[in-house]
Amino acid sequence: MAMSRGEALRAVAQHRGERIVVSTMQVVRPWHSISPSDLNLSCVGFMGGASTLGLGVALAQPGRRVVILDGDGSLLMQLGSIATIAGAAPANFCHILFQNGVYETSGSQPIASADAIDFAQMAKGAGYKAAYTFDDVGRFREEVAGILDEDGPVFVVLKIDQRDEMAEWNAPSVSALAETRTVHRALTGV
Amino acid sequence: MTLPAQSIPAQTLLDELRRCGVKFIVSVPDTHQKSLLALLDTVNDIRVITCCTEDEAVCVAMGLWIGGAPVAMMIQHAGLYACVNHLRGVGLDLKAPLFMMVGLLGRDVNKMPRENIGSMVRLAEPLLDTLGIKHCLVDGPADVQQIEPAYREALRSEAPVAVLIGAPTA
Repeated sequence: MAMSRGEALRAVAQHRGERIVVSTMQVVRPWHSISPSDLNLSCVGFMGGASTLGLGVALAQPGRRVVILDGDGSLLMQLGSIATIAGAAPANFCHILFQNGVYETSGSQPIASADAIDFAQMAKGAGYKAAYTFDDVGRFREEVAGILDEDGPVFVVLKIDQRDEMAEWNAPSVSALAETRTVHRALTGV
Repeated sequence: MTLPAQSIPAQTLLDELRRCGVKFIVSVPDTHQKSLLALLDTVNDIRVITCCTEDEAVCVAMGLWIGGAPVAMMIQHAGLYACVNHLRGVGLDLKAPLFMMVGLLGRDVNKMPRENIGSMVRLAEPLLDTLGIKHCLVDGPADVQQIEPAYREALRSEAPVAVLIGAPTA
């Protein structure tokens, strides 16, 4: 069983509140369509960087909660980041991984060890406080609000299907640079 | 600059970081600057975040700036080569005010970096030039006064600036 990316994102969006959200790769467009906000950041052009970009924000702003919307291929590119995050131990940090087992952008080539890899176990082993895996959107909808409020760092794996949903989203093109300045102003007043 | 390059006491560098107002160091441990890293472990007004790669360090530093926290990176020249795409994507495209202290491990202190035989030292400045990243060489206690202006320049220009540490810190 697996859920669609859109279903999962809507469930997160319903409970985002004033959270700062960092998205990457195939999640960027649908997320900006579903949850437009002055507190969105995008990781585009430096694959694997979403979680550590969010880590910096979380450390600078311990009073604000930060959510990462990551991809499995992206995380594998900077897998050490889960140790870095666990080591820094930000309590305000929730790391959500969209696992479809492929590099969708480049033509859906399978990621390494696609059939066996267990990201939740990796995150727990790295030192995250908690790690969850969901393959059913109904159960995720029931638990997402509580998970987003947990003390982190928390890791959530969402098993999503490989359906190409990009045509469904009409979000305007995102300026990652402009977003950094908008969020910086929102957080610092400068 | 006068050759040979001389070691700078860790306390002198820490004083400079404090003068800049730095509250976070994002580091991939650097043999060249290990005495400064050891000293930083003993203070409680600057937090050190240890990263696994320099790619991560670039992103953490950018996130800290976005969140309003004064930050400096401490890496080695090998790490500079390793994180070129993130320096491009974050440093240049996102106009990140990344202040980087880069150790030139293995440098022959009797020669300027570009005249060193080893490519790791020899190519560091040309790489930064290629990326359009401003840099300065801190080759001893007399050069320490370049550090705070370099930090301010990164913030002012919203661009990466590198300070190359020319001799092992003392």
